[in-house]
Amino acid sequence: MTSYSNQTSSAARFTSFLRNYYIYFVLVAVVVLLSTANLDQFALFERGNFLYKRNIINILRVSAPLLVMAGAFTLLMVSGYIDLSVGSAMSLSAVVYAMLAINGVPFIPAFALTVLVGVLLGAINGFLVVRLNITPVIATLITLSLFKGVALLLVQDGVSAIKSDNFLKIPGWFNDYGRAKVLFDLPAAFWVAVAVTLALIVVQNRGKLGKYAAATGGNPTAAKLSGINTGRTVFLLYVIVGASAALAGIARSSFMSLGDPLSGDGMELTAILVVLLGGTAFSGGEGKVLRSFVGALIIMMLTVGMLTIVPAYYQTLVIGSALLAAAASNHLVSRKGKES
Amino acid sequence: MTGPQTHTVLSVSGLTKDYPGVRAVDDVSFAIEGGTVHCLVGENGAGKSTLVKMLTGALDPTSGSMSANGNEYTPNSPQDARKGGVATLFQELHVVDELTVLENLTLGMERSWFGFLVKSELEERAVKTLAAIEPSIDPSARVSRLSVAQKQIIEIARAASSGANIIIMDEPTAALSEREVERLFGVIRRLRENDVTVIYISHKLDEIFELGDNVTILRDGKHIATKPLADVDGRSELIEMMIGRTVFQSYSPRGTVGNKVVLKARGLTTSLLKDVSFDIKEGEIVGFYGLVGAGKTEIARALYGADSFEGAVDFKGKPVGRTPTAAIASGIALVPEERRTQGLFTNLTIRENIPVMNLPRVSRGGVFKAADVQDAAHQYVEQLSIATSSIEKHTEKLSGGNQQKVVFAKCLFSRAELLLLDEPTRGVDVGAKSEIYDIIKDLADQGNAVAVFSSELEEILGICDRVFLMFDGHLQEEIPNGPDVDISHILNVVTGGQESVAK
Repeated sequence: MTSYSNQTSSAARFTSFLRNYYIYFVLVAVVVLLSTANLDQFALFERGNFLYKRNIINILRVSAPLLVMAGAFTLLMVSGYIDLSVGSAMSLSAVVYAMLAINGVPFIPAFALTVLVGVLLGAINGFLVVRLNITPVIATLITLSLFKGVALLLVQDGVSAIKSDNFLKIPGWFNDYGRAKVLFDLPAAFWVAVAVTLALIVVQNRGKLGKYAAATGGNPTAAKLSGINTGRTVFLLYVIVGASAALAGIARSSFMSLGDPLSGDGMELTAILVVLLGGTAFSGGEGKVLRSFVGALIIMMLTVGMLTIVPAYYQTLVIGSALLAAAASNHLVSRKGKES
Repeated sequence: MTGPQTHTVLSVSGLTKDYPGVRAVDDVSFAIEGGTVHCLVGENGAGKSTLVKMLTGALDPTSGSMSANGNEYTPNSPQDARKGGVATLFQELHVVDELTVLENLTLGMERSWFGFLVKSELEERAVKTLAAIEPSIDPSARVSRLSVAQKQIIEIARAASSGANIIIMDEPTAALSEREVERLFGVIRRLRENDVTVIYISHKLDEIFELGDNVTILRDGKHIATKPLADVDGRSELIEMMIGRTVFQSYSPRGTVGNKVVLKARGLTTSLLKDVSFDIKEGEIVGFYGLVGAGKTEIARALYGADSFEGAVDFKGKPVGRTPTAAIASGIALVPEERRTQGLFTNLTIRENIPVMNLPRVSRGGVFKAADVQDAAHQYVEQLSIATSSIEKHTEKLSGGNQQKVVFAKCLFSRAELLLLDEPTRGVDVGAKSEIYDIIKDLADQGNAVAVFSSELEEILGICDRVFLMFDGHLQEEIPNGPDVDISHILNVVTGGQESVAK
């Protein structure tokens, strides 16, 4: 395999084509599957067709939290790191946001403060991993507990979530971010997710951070020898992931009209699933923001679609199986890529 | 030499590096002319790597000074060195597979505007440099698609376009095929035409004669000569300068070598080894000598079943299974090259390390007999005179020599009858060295067979009864050890000289 020219065998070209575009085929396949399946006897879909406008809007609204996180999580995994605390960071942000709102803080300052909390949570992760040199999985497993603990602590005893009661009322505007139609009948939360994704696509393709993330994940020694501050790169990526988790928390709590300290539970697994499904290598270096975004759409369609077919308690099992399939195929594709 | 005017681009004067107990580089002074290929040669341990580490900023000299491009030069890191105009092509590749060629060429030196990359003249320069030295590589290709040789050229292009005018190459051809070597030489010649100076380090003397303008010879840390290669009278003069003395030869023929062949290896072939066959007799110590990368470790690992290979290995008339477990069961043990990572469980104690290769020997029904383990530990600590206050000492706290003895104990405990010793005294002090040699000789005297794989000629000639010379995966020649062994012939063979060239 020491052939000199840059000729690529047709097999290698096929593999690379597969890696770059398979996610779109999966998307089409899932849409076709859901639209042809006879789902009209179930209450969740509008009668007749999956491709009915209200169904699509509904799915995209529910998807906003996952969509807004997928891009940042991809960049972090491209750099070879991982954040298991995103779900807890999302829960904590949801609680903080609801508390601010219920105590009379207007929308914009509440929003900004919550994002700031997310930045802080990301910085904590970054500090543990970069400064204290704790293995990323361990470090973020620790913060998974810590952030969730704080979220639970903030919610009063005997109450399951921050919500309207006899003394304090969730203000009327609270719902708007996640539900009010802004553009094409879709809420602001969805459009923010789109904007964040577009911004991160530019960062990945044109930004120094995107390139340094790929270099750090691809060959850390080479990155360091080239004078790249890999620690700063990783820290920054953790902060961005934290901020995006806060945006996800805001979207979720606004959609649900409450601050649920468990609302982000399991989100880290879904995020990993989405990113792997999008073809990002677990070992780092490789991966695209847009493909993860599409992966998130697929997962949300399947989840919502599944709700109509199988009982909810099967979902975790199905997600686990999908994760296994994604990891295995990811492994095969990247192995083949290396051997060619 | 490109022109009549020569100018010095890099010089060292009085450069000395002391390690505890050893002076690795001793008062070395020489100068390198601009736009030349300057070769650095010497035996293993002559001080080449230490010198290179000082040039690249990985080590600080104990005394002496360096200057590069007319300025004082005191690098502390590879980046520092590059600022001084010196770039290094390390043996392991430092490119990012996932990025494109161009992205690699500018890595760490990008211009950006508010965090976004902008085009810079550096990019143009990098593309131009690459086109000049190797036009067939497409700058937009992904590096993962390139061969090892092409990746190496990317690194060279990066070094050259980053403004370095001196590039150090440490054994750059070690992982290349013959055709790729030719291509690399083409690149080096084009660099020279562009007034880049290359410091070229290699054990392969043919390469040096083909490529070099000047050569500096080091021996025992001292500077022997720096002269134009045109003035060097062939391989033999170069080898003479590299050895310069009669190698200390303490070998005395041993009477315990039996006639019974215990190990028979036939046609061992791996990605590196080419059809290697040999026998080892009962009670015999054989040596495998060759340069780094000649295939010594590969033979040891193949015999031990640690790597897959083609060919046949018989031990005492029976084929050896192709896993370490099977090798141990049939009586073969390996003392690996990397003691700390492959030979020992450094976070365990001496007592816990010794029985690991043969736990059934100290267990009944899957349960350890603690007393037996202790007895064994005491026995080997005494037998091999391992210097330790207690058998409960963690092996990471031991000196290199004592660690190595624990590895030996591990192998002996497994009741091995053939010991494969890969670089058995690397990183071991002189006193422990001779103790280890005594242990090896004792083992052979008891009828065990021993194979020593070493890149230290003195070691090979000191203890081995027979020596196999390796070059580039081939077993070139077998010679009996003795007082009249021809050292320059050995060096000629292992540096790629043909047998017939020898006198």
